[in-house]
Amino acid sequence: MIPMVAQLQVRDWQNREFHLWIPLAIFWILLLPVAILIAPLILLACLFQRMNPFRVLPAFWEVLSALKGTHVEFDHPKSSALIHIF
Amino acid sequence: MNENRRTILEMLAAGKIDAEEAERLIAALEKEPSADPPGKGNEPRAKEAPKYIHVVVNEENPKGDNPTKANIRVPIQLLRAGVRLGSLIPAQAQFHVNAALREKGVMFDLSQIKPENLEKLIENLDDITLDIGQKNKNVKVRIFCE
Repeated sequence: MIPMVAQLQVRDWQNREFHLWIPLAIFWILLLPVAILIAPLILLACLFQRMNPFRVLPAFWEVLSALKGTHVEFDHPKSSALIHIF
Repeated sequence: MNENRRTILEMLAAGKIDAEEAERLIAALEKEPSADPPGKGNEPRAKEAPKYIHVVVNEENPKGDNPTKANIRVPIQLLRAGVRLGSLIPAQAQFHVNAALREKGVMFDLSQIKPENLEKLIENLDDITLDIGQKNKNVKVRIFCE
């Protein structure tokens, strides 16, 4: 299952805080037609680089699916950032 | 007393089996592995496969105020998928990446990252704490799996 929501939290040096919930599901839906359009180009690139596209595409999908649960958090006295992928 | 042992003794009391048969049944029962879930008794609990790798960085200044922190949690599945994707990189591209890394002072060979190596690394990576002493700072890096 690919990630559906991402949480982004940023605090800048003026102590302003941004808290965003990004619905990745919408992003994937918007990306789908683009992916279909560029699929022949990816296929050509794979053939040109002598890579098997039927191994590359599942590997990309696997990376995308495994992103769930990723958490990156930096906390500095002047600023902080947090990204969590659900 | 477990359920099976009690049943055998009840059968013996009811006269359905004789003492010798009861003894044989109990002996057979003792040979069987325990049906209890692991972790209840004294048996060591099997180690669960870790799901995430954590990297926690704490940087403290001498005054001890406002420390800088970094907390990164990466699913191990992502590492596995990344290694698998990395193994598909053509040799020419790997050569260029290795050269670029070498230029930056990172002596690393991409072709050496293999799924089996990663598994060994995860198996052996329980909890590592590194103390990196700098001029005015004390940086602690803790790497662990959970």
